[in-house]
Amino acid sequence: MQLRKTLYGSVFIGLLAMTTAASAEDTIKIGVIQPLTGSVAYNGTTDINGSKLAADEINAKGGVLGKKIELVIEDGQCKPANSVNAAEKLIQRDKVVALSGAFCSSATLAVMPVAQNYKIPLITGVSSSAPLTEKGNQWFFRATETDALLAKSFAKILYGEIKLRKVAYIGVNDDFGRGAVSEFEKQMKDLGATTVMTEYFEHGTSDFYTLLTKLKASGADGVFVAAETQDGSIFVKQKAELGLPVKVFGVGSWATSDFIKLTGDASEGIYAAVPYASTMTTPKNKPFVEAYTGRFKEAPGKYSTAGYNAINILAQAIDRAKSTDAEKIREALTKTDYEGPNGHFQFDAKGQATGFTVVLVQLTKGSPKVVASTTVDQR
Amino acid sequence: MDLFLQLSANGLVLGMFYALSALGLTLVFGLMRVVNFAHGELYVVGGLIGWALTETLGLNFFVTLAIVVVVLGIAGYLIDRLLITWVRGQGEEPTILLTIGLSIFITNTALLIVGTTPQTVLSPFKSKPLFLGPVVLTQSRLFLVAICAALIVGAYLLIQRTGLGRAMRATFQDPMAAQLVGIRTAHIYGFTLALGAALAGAAGMLLGSIYVVQATIGGVVSLKAFVVVILGGMGSFPGAIVGGLILGLAEALWGGYVNTGYVDAIGFGLVIVMLLVRPYGLFGKRIERA
Amino acid sequence: MAFERNVLLTALVLALFAPLVLQGDYAMHIGVNIMFSVMLATSLNLIVGYIGEFPLGHTAFFGIGAYTAALLSVRAGLSFYITVPAAAVVAAVSGVLIGAVTLRLRGPFFVIVTLCFAEVLRLVANNWVDLTNGPMGLSGIAKPSLAMSGDILWQKVTFFYIGLLLAGISLFVSYRFVYSNVGRAAIAVRENRFVAQSVGIWPFYFGLVTFALAAGIGGLAGGFYAHYFSYVGPEVFGFSFMISMIIMVLAGGKGTLVGPVVGAVIVVLLEEYLRDFKELRFSIFGLIVVAIVIFLPRGLMGFITRRHETYKGPDKAIPADKAELRDA
Repeated sequence: MQLRKTLYGSVFIGLLAMTTAASAEDTIKIGVIQPLTGSVAYNGTTDINGSKLAADEINAKGGVLGKKIELVIEDGQCKPANSVNAAEKLIQRDKVVALSGAFCSSATLAVMPVAQNYKIPLITGVSSSAPLTEKGNQWFFRATETDALLAKSFAKILYGEIKLRKVAYIGVNDDFGRGAVSEFEKQMKDLGATTVMTEYFEHGTSDFYTLLTKLKASGADGVFVAAETQDGSIFVKQKAELGLPVKVFGVGSWATSDFIKLTGDASEGIYAAVPYASTMTTPKNKPFVEAYTGRFKEAPGKYSTAGYNAINILAQAIDRAKSTDAEKIREALTKTDYEGPNGHFQFDAKGQATGFTVVLVQLTKGSPKVVASTTVDQR
Repeated sequence: MDLFLQLSANGLVLGMFYALSALGLTLVFGLMRVVNFAHGELYVVGGLIGWALTETLGLNFFVTLAIVVVVLGIAGYLIDRLLITWVRGQGEEPTILLTIGLSIFITNTALLIVGTTPQTVLSPFKSKPLFLGPVVLTQSRLFLVAICAALIVGAYLLIQRTGLGRAMRATFQDPMAAQLVGIRTAHIYGFTLALGAALAGAAGMLLGSIYVVQATIGGVVSLKAFVVVILGGMGSFPGAIVGGLILGLAEALWGGYVNTGYVDAIGFGLVIVMLLVRPYGLFGKRIERA
Repeated sequence: MAFERNVLLTALVLALFAPLVLQGDYAMHIGVNIMFSVMLATSLNLIVGYIGEFPLGHTAFFGIGAYTAALLSVRAGLSFYITVPAAAVVAAVSGVLIGAVTLRLRGPFFVIVTLCFAEVLRLVANNWVDLTNGPMGLSGIAKPSLAMSGDILWQKVTFFYIGLLLAGISLFVSYRFVYSNVGRAAIAVRENRFVAQSVGIWPFYFGLVTFALAAGIGGLAGGFYAHYFSYVGPEVFGFSFMISMIIMVLAGGKGTLVGPVVGAVIVVLLEEYLRDFKELRFSIFGLIVVAIVIFLPRGLMGFITRRHETYKGPDKAIPADKAELRDA
């Protein structure tokens, strides 16, 4: 028994002694920290897809400063400690010139001081928690909307055109859900709407009947939901199962083909506010959608665009800086003037992107129809 | 009053689903004293196979269910004969660790194979609302409750009325005596885990038709199943049902009347209270060895 | 006893000189992780190895320590030198409270009830926004001024030495505990509860003392974590820390003092090595756990000491405190 065990054990260890990565060529390395495992892996991988598409497009055109861009991808798991470890490894061992990540606002928040400490530029295309750009971190740039900006842009439409007066707020119980709910609630209250219910649910909840029952009893005429595809789609489906006629307005990745596929008929009439929809009509969008769909066999969503924009913005900054020196790249980032699939990007003094378009879509017959769009200006 | 009725209906339906999810675990727990932390992952695998067969291959729902039961049963048997035999008799801790390692492996390998996109199992039942007085349910939920009940009864009959079931009960009362009367205990252990895995997989597939199938939800499922098992008592069929219903109702009522953020804590709170008051659960039998 | 003490002292000396040999911020970062992991592993090992039960909710104490340090630092502005000891004390007190409830149970019941406690704490941390800032967590925890007074390498080296000091204290306290009468009584309870009772040892009391000590060390690790990563959120109660702790104790060898140290080093380095495998790494990790449980049930240290025994032969009497190795 003992001998057999030792034998099997040695074979196992032998198999485990696999070779590691090949040697590096002369490339410009950009570190990407996204969740590859865990419950938001689904969203994280779409961001990586967009990033990869951007990198390949740039390299096909000759790269930056004559060298190819290499993405070094690490799994941050949307957890602060793991994202910090990933950042340390990327900066120390891989010697990346910039970082893109870390998806969840709490993880990005933990990585920000690391970036500042090591003086490496950090850009996020996803983290929407408003306080991130209030920390005075000169090395951090946010290439997407904040919950506050989104709320301000669309609250007027929700109140004025869709005529929501008694609103229920439902959010996933993480920093994104809570942040989004509180921002939208604030805006709607200022306009005169009443809040009839505010509830949160744990990420991964599969049965929303209790929540929906409460919603029915609250008498709301509209419900604002801050959730990702996985939870949001189940919520919408079950709302239809219970026959609730309440209007739904969602924030999160709701305008994607996966979401529509999962919800089926129940998606009809749902509103969503997103910084990107594949049906947007900007000049850069059509080629982007074609390239993305051709490569990944599905239409891009907001996270794909986030990754795509982040890498492009970084590459352009390196190009503008004419060097890979971190301080010069940072300088160049402040002067960003980038045209992406969802509009024009510039950064204000706090590192917040302005000038791009966010849209309100209504899911009609399985496609996100753009109902309203607005550009994000200064706060 | 309407609110209460609807919430109670929700709770009872949810409770039946919890009961089925936990049944496999309570059998394995009660009969083999194996704490199977990979239970949630077996549920997930059942759901994934269900999705693959119904959606990508277009097979019939019930045929798929049968296939899931068989495949997961074989998987359970193999897990026991190839892995758990090594650590049998060393106490509960090694099996806990083994199944934890197994659960990590299964979750992540499943993630690699099927990817991260949430999926569903295609069901022949309608999801349109059915209005029964003030309560709203769907046809698919009602049918699923019926199927759950059928599976639970079926498993019960298997354990109580068949030769195999008798052999299982004998083995776990006294392995030595069972071997003496000619029962091949090694196979029995395997069959028990096979049954547990099959039930988990069936639950995963059935519930995957109204919820969602994703490689990462195993942990939550395991936790809820543990709560049901502790509440109802290990190894007890009525315990699993009652435990499940209690959990479902408690969650629905708490979530409906108080607040939904803390809903999951109710289950854990009940467990803590139960373990202090009646550690062997409502229906468990008290056995202790020196 | 002598063997363990010598190994630990050697390790301490090696660690003291490590920063001189291993230049570089990243090596220091790994070093800090190792120190932190040693504390966690030692903490868990006290319960697994010396009480003989398996607390799957051990992150409760780590999390309580982390949140205590974070809250005291962010809300009350207290310094590192106060928050970290406070974290240990609060965690130890909670260890007494939780232990009073959980130690009445054994086997799988103990496993699950501790898990329930950890989950409840996680849900509380996630929902009690006024106190803990909910899922947004507590950020901007101040690093000690000593660490900040230099460049990055200096920061990391300072944290490494602070970690080494804390880990050293943890191991020292554990060592004194294990080889004291209290420790021996706890081991007696672990080996055979009923016999221990028959010689007048009250299992519950000794279990509680061990539990409180383990909780205190876990809280210490939590306080250290809070100040190094500068961010504490509900994920500190999460299962991923638990898994790391389990593997460290398992791989190193439970019931020995050197085991957790070895395990911590192995696991931290393994996690770094496995990074290269990207998405495969957790699958491999799971397989490694399964393999360790099957092939190395007593961990590396258990394996080594057993081999040592086999080759040494039966002529020397096996000392009393290695009694657990007497069985095959």
